[in-house]
Amino acid sequence: MSALTLRLKTDLAQRVDCSPLTPDKLAGKDVADIAALELVSGRLTLPVDELFDISGDDVNDIRFENSSVKLDHIGHAMSQGHITIEGDAGAYLGQFMTGGNIEITGNTFIYTGCEMKGGQIKINGNAGDFVGAARSGYKNGMTGGIIIVTGNTGARTGDHMRRGMILIEGNAGEYCGSRMISGTIAVLGDVGKHLGYAMKRGTLLLTKMPQHGITANFNDCGSHTLAFLPLMFASFKKLDSQFANVEGFSRVQRYAGDVGGIGMGEILIKI
Amino acid sequence: MIINGVSIDKTFAEAFPMKGTRIIITAQNLEWAMHSATAFTGFATSVIACGCEAAIERTLDPSETPDGRPGVACLIFAMGGKGLAKQVETRAGQCVLTSPTSALFSGIEGDDGAEIALGKNLRFFGDGYQISKMIDGKRYWRIPVMDGEFLTQENTGVVSSVGGGNFLILAESQPQALAACEAAVKAMKQLPNIIMPFPGGVVRSGSKVGSKYKALNASTNDAFCPTLKGQTKSELSPEVESVMEIVIDGLSKEDIDKAMRVGIQAACELGAENGIRRISAGNYGGKLGPFHFHLQEIMA
Repeated sequence: MSALTLRLKTDLAQRVDCSPLTPDKLAGKDVADIAALELVSGRLTLPVDELFDISGDDVNDIRFENSSVKLDHIGHAMSQGHITIEGDAGAYLGQFMTGGNIEITGNTFIYTGCEMKGGQIKINGNAGDFVGAARSGYKNGMTGGIIIVTGNTGARTGDHMRRGMILIEGNAGEYCGSRMISGTIAVLGDVGKHLGYAMKRGTLLLTKMPQHGITANFNDCGSHTLAFLPLMFASFKKLDSQFANVEGFSRVQRYAGDVGGIGMGEILIKI
Repeated sequence: MIINGVSIDKTFAEAFPMKGTRIIITAQNLEWAMHSATAFTGFATSVIACGCEAAIERTLDPSETPDGRPGVACLIFAMGGKGLAKQVETRAGQCVLTSPTSALFSGIEGDDGAEIALGKNLRFFGDGYQISKMIDGKRYWRIPVMDGEFLTQENTGVVSSVGGGNFLILAESQPQALAACEAAVKAMKQLPNIIMPFPGGVVRSGSKVGSKYKALNASTNDAFCPTLKGQTKSELSPEVESVMEIVIDGLSKEDIDKAMRVGIQAACELGAENGIRRISAGNYGGKLGPFHFHLQEIMA
């Protein structure tokens, strides 16, 4: 069996909802069944084979080639298997996923890993706004799993995040960790303004002081050696990420906030 | 059967099922890990009155511990999961949480994922300032304390275990019996998955089931008390002046089998020339426990 490969045929005029194309939903279907599946695109529904050249037959290993930022909902609610995306991906990549893994060579649009519960997403590029966040009007963002971004993320990374981990090898945009409930966001690069805005709990782990400093609604708790950090860095060692190569540290400056709210979140900065 | 002039009785040790777990205590250095582990395993010689049986299994190099600091592995056993959970929680709260620089981890996977709380309820000591962290699928709690943060894993695994494996060393004098016990315990301490919960690994007050006093469930094993040779139905020959027992708890019957073999062998190496006359074992006619350790089969 070889990977089920879906090669996008043309430039898309409208966005396409790819949520039916997951290992779970394609289980038991042969290539003819998959070709006949209809995808919502704008006001139309189009069969898969009108949008993609199809080859291979392993539905647990799905490959999108020539992918576009207009392909939304890839990996929607998947619980197992592997999706590889060559190119960019649209909004809601890996939304609601509970297991399996997604790897993309390009960039993603907004709401990557939105409300995901488990599994792993690796973005070998940049991610848009609201990585690991909750949908507008919803209270809980991602509740498990790992998102690795080798590039930068947009604004509101981890908005309403409740559990899980977001590892950013580049820079994070404004309002990183906003309204965060729990979980961990680690950033090797810089972070934008309003870090941890309205953060309730959770950890923002930085390797250097942000360019814009720490906002006034975080209080300095001093420098500390924290025992959980070596465990966390040890857990990074198995990841295909720069985080696996980061020399672990446990000495940090700790800031607690957002004191405009319950103030139980923390920003930890390597010292 | 005779080994180096020491007679091995044709009898068996009788042991019973227990629930057990292994916990790992780490600290800034081994000395402080040992302080905490010693306290954690204190007053834990016998379930008869301590509620559990516990001891230090071995020390751990930094490379063997979850947080890369020196550590100590402890085994703790109780008659059931609930009792074990209560003992682990209270001991962790009073002896590890309180100990400077300590951290507490599970050292074992439970049978079919069975777990009991380790730091799960200790977190409330944090008075709302505690922080949960999921790392590699395991939950940890960071509890703010006066020396920094106490890190503890939320749960530890529970495994079906065996308690009460034992053998008796019968010698011509008290010093000789003790010397043989010391040699046996030293050899057995090299083995994993077992503990000898009594002080120094040795118990001099072996018990029998029942008593002439209604309030007591156990009383002195008069058949093996040398001063009662003329007063009771004694198991001792005239030349035996002292009997000491080594009790072994282990994670499996095989672990205890191996420990008994190693321990008896070490005692027998001192031999008759050093006053070691017999090796026997404590049993209750097979009525107390389903695990029987036949001495001659073990030493065959």
